[in-house]
Amino acid sequence: MKSREQEYREIFMSEALEYYDAMSRHISELERSPTDESALNELFRLMHNLKSNARAMGYTPIGEVAHHMETIFGLIRDKEKAFTGSVVPVLFKGIDTIGEMVRAVGANEDLPDVVHLTANLDRLVQGEEPILEPETTDDEDATRKLELSDLVYIQVKKLDHLMNLVGELIIDRDRVLTLSQEIGNPALIAAAAHLSRIADELQYSVMDARLVGVGSLFSKFPRVVRDVAMAEKKDVELTMTGEDIQIDRNILQIITDALLHLVRNAIGHGLETPAERVAAGKPAQGHLLLSAQTERDDVLVQVRDDGRGINVESVRRKAVERGLVAANVAATLDDNAVRAFLFEPGFSMAKEVTEISGRGVGLDVVKLAIDSLGGQLRVDSVLGQGTTFTLVLPTSIAVKGALLFQLDQRNYAIPLMHTDSVVSLLPENFNVVGGMLLTRIQDENVPVVSLRRLLHNGDGPLPPAVRTDLEGRQDIIIVNYNNRRLGLIVDRFLRQQDIVVKPMSKPLDTIDLFGGVTLLGSGQVCLVLDVPALTRLFLAKRP
Amino acid sequence: MPESEKSAKQDPIIQLIVFRLGEEEYGIRIEQVKEVTITPEIARMPKTPPFVKGIANLRGDIIAVIDLEERFRLRSAGQEMPAVSYTMAIEAKEYTIGIMVREVPQPLSIAQSIIEKAPEFIQDINIHDKYIEGIAKIDSRIIVVLDMLKLLTPSEIMQLQPKGESSPAGSRTQA
Repeated sequence: MKSREQEYREIFMSEALEYYDAMSRHISELERSPTDESALNELFRLMHNLKSNARAMGYTPIGEVAHHMETIFGLIRDKEKAFTGSVVPVLFKGIDTIGEMVRAVGANEDLPDVVHLTANLDRLVQGEEPILEPETTDDEDATRKLELSDLVYIQVKKLDHLMNLVGELIIDRDRVLTLSQEIGNPALIAAAAHLSRIADELQYSVMDARLVGVGSLFSKFPRVVRDVAMAEKKDVELTMTGEDIQIDRNILQIITDALLHLVRNAIGHGLETPAERVAAGKPAQGHLLLSAQTERDDVLVQVRDDGRGINVESVRRKAVERGLVAANVAATLDDNAVRAFLFEPGFSMAKEVTEISGRGVGLDVVKLAIDSLGGQLRVDSVLGQGTTFTLVLPTSIAVKGALLFQLDQRNYAIPLMHTDSVVSLLPENFNVVGGMLLTRIQDENVPVVSLRRLLHNGDGPLPPAVRTDLEGRQDIIIVNYNNRRLGLIVDRFLRQQDIVVKPMSKPLDTIDLFGGVTLLGSGQVCLVLDVPALTRLFLAKRP
Repeated sequence: MPESEKSAKQDPIIQLIVFRLGEEEYGIRIEQVKEVTITPEIARMPKTPPFVKGIANLRGDIIAVIDLEERFRLRSAGQEMPAVSYTMAIEAKEYTIGIMVREVPQPLSIAQSIIEKAPEFIQDINIHDKYIEGIAKIDSRIIVVLDMLKLLTPSEIMQLQPKGESSPAGSRTQA
């Protein structure tokens, strides 16, 4: 794989060459009609973009020339100069020089000398006559090359289509593999195995083509932070790390608003004013960290502030007032479970919560965005020291690790992202408390429910559980959502498998218990359970 | 304008796909039917009304399959769907949906003019008259012509969505 540096350079090259082509085109138009405003505006814009890109990449001479050219095009645009006489050859020379310089960067050669050109440009700006070199056009025309860029721009829509096709291919691949095993013809098995390898490679190539650096989103934040900090009268220093971490472009798109929300929240409600900070014995300048890192197959994006933190007690009080939890239960919840209430829809909308706890404007929206990706949202906070929001995101949307299991002779899948563990327990490992089955897993009481009952119980609350319902060993999947663990009794575990999730077709897509469907190698349809919706259903229906 | 041409213009021939539900015959305009196939294996989908039989894999498309006999309560007791049934894939506005029927649906060409507007007696059966484009009488047969696009709108199917769903679509978008 190429280094980041190399890749950025290629992107710069391709853009710069494109700018150069456009500049050549527009300046020719300008020569034909010297007052063409759209051509002038385009030239001005192209010079400006090239200047910024070149400076960002450290190609200062290109930036310098572009800067000078921009100035003159600005003057012409503002009618302080005219595109006539000696101005014309100097500007043509300038654009040709830009082309040479960009090509020199591409070929890893030394940049051509531009002192003469910039001196001439300076003279033009000051209203003096430029010193023109004798024309050497013959020579130049002979050496001029036509260049095509090494990169192509492609619409995300086309990549989405490719990804969908690959998804279908993977499903068919599994089907062909299964069939070849059943038929048992050696030549067929070999061909199927080969097909399988190619399909895998194709899948990874398409997934790779969709990856972009997290930096392409992060880079928009310095400005956001500055503006929000100004508006909120906060003094904020922003640090960013992990801009090189790669993630699917559509995932980045979906988390854009969520991240914006978290950053605004952190500055608006998390960080204190300089005076408050000093009074609390902290440095006056607040610190905000935006970071990305990979963890196994996931990408972790964090927003961390060193502000006042979340007051767990006021969240606990509010949760009880809002009827989200009974007072006696609330008293027993640990801090993590209490903070999870922040993501409850409606919880955050109350204004007084914001004022008391200093947090929580529309966090449920953030939560839903992350849920829709099959990701996780976590919050850690120490009162007085700061808050960290962690977004756990899949690298790619298309393929998900899933656990397959059976219920009533049907296959179901549950995403591994939300699966804690699987256990097989005998009836004596369960207790019944208030009509709810509980079992102890890693020193924690986890409610357990029969998935069959939860799915097929109709509209009313679940009937109270009794231990005699349980016969023999029970296969249980422990799922985890929003810091709540829940055990689901299923008929039988099948296996772990990477699946391609197809969205639920209309009109059944309003039933949110299922995140989608997948087709198994056998051609069978397999429903993919949505753990967030399942957890909500359990909370609504528990006895 | 010549008489023959005039009548041809006023009375176009339309093609129906005719199928049986309970004891009655129903028809849909052929252009609304994408294909007819032997019902594929259906995965029952929990939390859907009983007449939504589940979802099936139709050449890589995952479609919902519904049973109109059950929907309109046209099935007499002891008349379960046979082991081999047929599914018509209907193209509704935004999606394809399967309708399960017990016998192979048959095409039938009729003149548009013999479709009469739904009369009052239709209220007797359990089909809401707004889905009914009209009634066609051919000899002794009576065919109820359905407007599938009205029958299969999401709101029609989602009226049946179970109440108290874990989180209805509405509350999600409000947030």
